[in-house]
Amino acid sequence: MDVLAQIFPGIATLFMTDPILGAVRVGLTILGFVLAYFGFKGKLEPLIMVPMGLGMIAVNCGVLFLDGGTTGTLIIDPLVSETDDLMTAIQVNFLQPIYNFMFSNNLIACLVFMGIGARSEISFLLARPWTCIIIAIFAELGTFVTLALGVDFFGLDPASAASVAIIGGADGPMVLFGTLMMKPELFVSVSIIAYLYLSLTYAGYPYIIKAMVPKKYRGIDIEFDMPQVSQKAKFVFIVVVCLLLCLLLPVAAPLMLSFFLGMAVKEAKIMPYQELLEGGITSFSSLFLGLVLGCLCEASTILNPTVGIILVLGILALAISAVGGIAGGWVMYFVGKKTGKSFNPAVGIAGISCMPTTTKLAQHAVEEENPFAIVIPIAMGCNISGVIVSAIAAGVFVATIGLVL
Amino acid sequence: MDVNLYALLTYALTAAISLLVIGVIVVINKLMNRSKSQDSD
Repeated sequence: MDVLAQIFPGIATLFMTDPILGAVRVGLTILGFVLAYFGFKGKLEPLIMVPMGLGMIAVNCGVLFLDGGTTGTLIIDPLVSETDDLMTAIQVNFLQPIYNFMFSNNLIACLVFMGIGARSEISFLLARPWTCIIIAIFAELGTFVTLALGVDFFGLDPASAASVAIIGGADGPMVLFGTLMMKPELFVSVSIIAYLYLSLTYAGYPYIIKAMVPKKYRGIDIEFDMPQVSQKAKFVFIVVVCLLLCLLLPVAAPLMLSFFLGMAVKEAKIMPYQELLEGGITSFSSLFLGLVLGCLCEASTILNPTVGIILVLGILALAISAVGGIAGGWVMYFVGKKTGKSFNPAVGIAGISCMPTTTKLAQHAVEEENPFAIVIPIAMGCNISGVIVSAIAAGVFVATIGLVL
Repeated sequence: MDVNLYALLTYALTAAISLLVIGVIVVINKLMNRSKSQDSD
């Protein structure tokens, strides 16, 4: 029996350790398969879900016996903290260097943000700047409501509640950043749940749009003049806004710098950098983000009593933000009626900064009722505003959470 | 500080900073458009 266990430790550890742990390992392996398959089918975001699903399968199947009768993997150990143990882990576990040198210091979030910046077009924001930013502020509602709910009703401490609440901004890099800055102990569970939910928004948000916006309003076309903004003006906006936000929120300076650097590279037309950011850096960071998050989904890490609370609060945050965004859309619709500028309330969903998913969702919802309506430029403006507002919200939390502790 | 008050205040602060940022963008846009039209005159 011992010989068999040594030859097939992946199977033996399923039966020779805690039965609950074994059952969770099997459950996570199946979940990994489901995520990878839905990623392959395009139902979930394939860039994240395919590596994440495979990572989950590998880390829950590839368990072996280690020294001292313990079990573990040769992939990653997120809980190691002592310097000597960390040095050993970096030399043994193949993803440990990526985790410690890219996740623990937010580098991965910054790289993703550079890629997002390089794909953002600031002139969309200038078509209707006040409308876009007001919708984005409404779409941040879930973050602040979830913070209060987490402390008042779920008994979380403010830093934990704020870390989970940032899921409401629907911005993956911001969740990684906020959790690492405020509650690093929850980093693994919060980031896994956030990315799982973020990939589910594509399936869930259309129902919220349909529930809150009756059919006859969903087909409203939005009239707007696309402003002619010079390259120079766009570059000046980027530099000034980066300066302003770094000055106001120094704790969020790495993220602000990364986002606006991506935008600046695009506007300055530095082609080698733009190709690197849009292609190499974005692909590299997405691949390792998905893979490392999947490999962090180990049964022993996931069996944390707060996971259930994070699951509930995470989905609440995203749902409340969607409701807030569409409510903002309605406000702008009524304001538009007074001022003679038409607005489609369904575009409110694009205030959630899950770029470009919510822009696509807004266009799909409108297109279903009116195939000739094009709302993408305004939705994209709301989306970019959403990224800026969620970065500000995360920065405000990180800078001020001490006030409520 | 009470968490509900904190949530309210941070929401207001986020909104204020966001509006300030967009205000700066709008002002710069207007200034640059003005200088552009003066150049063309």
